[in-house]
Amino acid sequence: MFENTVDNYAHHNNLKGANIYFKVLFAILTMFMSLISTSPIIPIIIAVLMSFLIIFKAKIPWKFYLKFLTIPFIFGFLTFIFMAFFFGFGTPLWELNIFSLTVTIDGFNLGFLVFSRIMGGFTCMAFLSLTTPMTELFSVLETFKIPKIVLEIAMMMYRYIFVFLGEGINMYHAQQTRLGYHSFKSSYKSMGILASNLFIRTWIKGENAYLAMESRCYNGSLHINNYQNKIGTKNLFILFSFEALLLAGVYLSGNFTLI
Amino acid sequence: MNMIEAKEITYKYPDGTKALHGVNFNVEKGKIVALLGPNGAGKSTLFLHFNGIIEPSSGQINIANEPLKYSKSALHKARQKVGIVFQNPDDQLFAPTVREDVAFGPMNMGLSGKEVDDRVSNSLEKVGMGGFEDKAPHHLSGGQKKRVAIAGILAMEPQIMVLDEPTSGLDPKGASQILKLLYDLNKEGMTIIISTHDVDMVPIYADKIYIISSGEIIKEGKPHIVFGDVKTIRNANLRLPRIAHLMEILKKEDKLLFSEEYPLTIGEARRSLLEYIDGVKEDK
Repeated sequence: MFENTVDNYAHHNNLKGANIYFKVLFAILTMFMSLISTSPIIPIIIAVLMSFLIIFKAKIPWKFYLKFLTIPFIFGFLTFIFMAFFFGFGTPLWELNIFSLTVTIDGFNLGFLVFSRIMGGFTCMAFLSLTTPMTELFSVLETFKIPKIVLEIAMMMYRYIFVFLGEGINMYHAQQTRLGYHSFKSSYKSMGILASNLFIRTWIKGENAYLAMESRCYNGSLHINNYQNKIGTKNLFILFSFEALLLAGVYLSGNFTLI
Repeated sequence: MNMIEAKEITYKYPDGTKALHGVNFNVEKGKIVALLGPNGAGKSTLFLHFNGIIEPSSGQINIANEPLKYSKSALHKARQKVGIVFQNPDDQLFAPTVREDVAFGPMNMGLSGKEVDDRVSNSLEKVGMGGFEDKAPHHLSGGQKKRVAIAGILAMEPQIMVLDEPTSGLDPKGASQILKLLYDLNKEGMTIIISTHDVDMVPIYADKIYIISSGEIIKEGKPHIVFGDVKTIRNANLRLPRIAHLMEILKKEDKLLFSEEYPLTIGEARRSLLEYIDGVKEDK
């Protein structure tokens, strides 16, 4: 049922076994580089590199990855257009003769910088979310001293999201089978029934889960075990040299602009 | 020795309707006992009494000859002795990975990290789910989830295992794998209680059968005795095993003479058929 989801790829990819701290460090440092860059060059290099890693190293199907990328791309592109029109002063680049809208060089550059940062940052996040199961991130969060109660709730939420998604899909199919969505009005009605029913089921399932946990001596706290492969000095060295290279790139590209 | 003994258990829902009515239920050490009954007869409610999740309105539960007390520490101990595997594995598997879920019980027992790890890998190995430690439960099939749920209880090393409809919703192979697993566990000394509607499988493994209907035990005893009482079986919305039904028809309609008891399993049926054929040959 959940074959084509981020979660499924996070569980089945070639980089799943890699140390989670390494992946988190890599993604966050690289994202940081993308954010501090004042020229669009480094963020674009990062976006391309990350996409390369995701498709060829982690072996995520490119079709899925491109689909995954569409929404942030559209968002980034819209930001680019709006910034180009509404930000910046100075020399006009292009004048649209309606409402005296103009694109200035300044605005264009700023928009493009933001766009490239969005893509750079997003591909870093995509790398993390497509190669790392949520479950392992919980253990990282624990090392970062996130309160236990928050983590426990998050863990159970994560697990039961899928139970309810499955339940919701089943109910939706059952409604479709009986023509629940054949008109606009009936769609509204069916959707309402589905939502309220799902709420009641949440209640019942919660009760059942609690009984099952109590049967296994639940005393109010969960315990998280952490199993990880070693990072290795070689990998750490590569990571830091890569980040240093990016930093040098950020410095050298300076305030380089497209126009 | 009686591992679990329920004496005159009556349970009323808060609104006053009776779910169980004077239930007596004994399970001897090292046996497999089956609780048969139609839907809504009170099987699950009775099971929840065995580890003190539900406190009876009247009556008493004994675990290994000791009366069950309902203080927190006493329940903690009782639940280590009596493990319940729930019908729907999605209710039971709450942790994001298989490993964490199986480790849940042993962790709550306060065992050391290494001991927990050993128990997790042993119990997963036992149910044939070794190598699935890092999988998320929603990426498993129904039968696999069920086996992980059983491993979660096994890891607590209980003396008695109570399974609510362990084969419901599984394909025939998955169901027989679960039954084989239970059979093996029983050979190692585990006392097992199963609730089911699967009358065909019951005579193969169960040492004793209880039949429950509308919150009352209406029949108990060895499979041959219980299934010999065809009327009670049918009144409880159950049926004879297919094999026994065939033999019943052969006896009644076709006047074939078999020994007194209906054979309940394929092996027994084969034996009586062969006996009958030999008998016919000798007559000629």
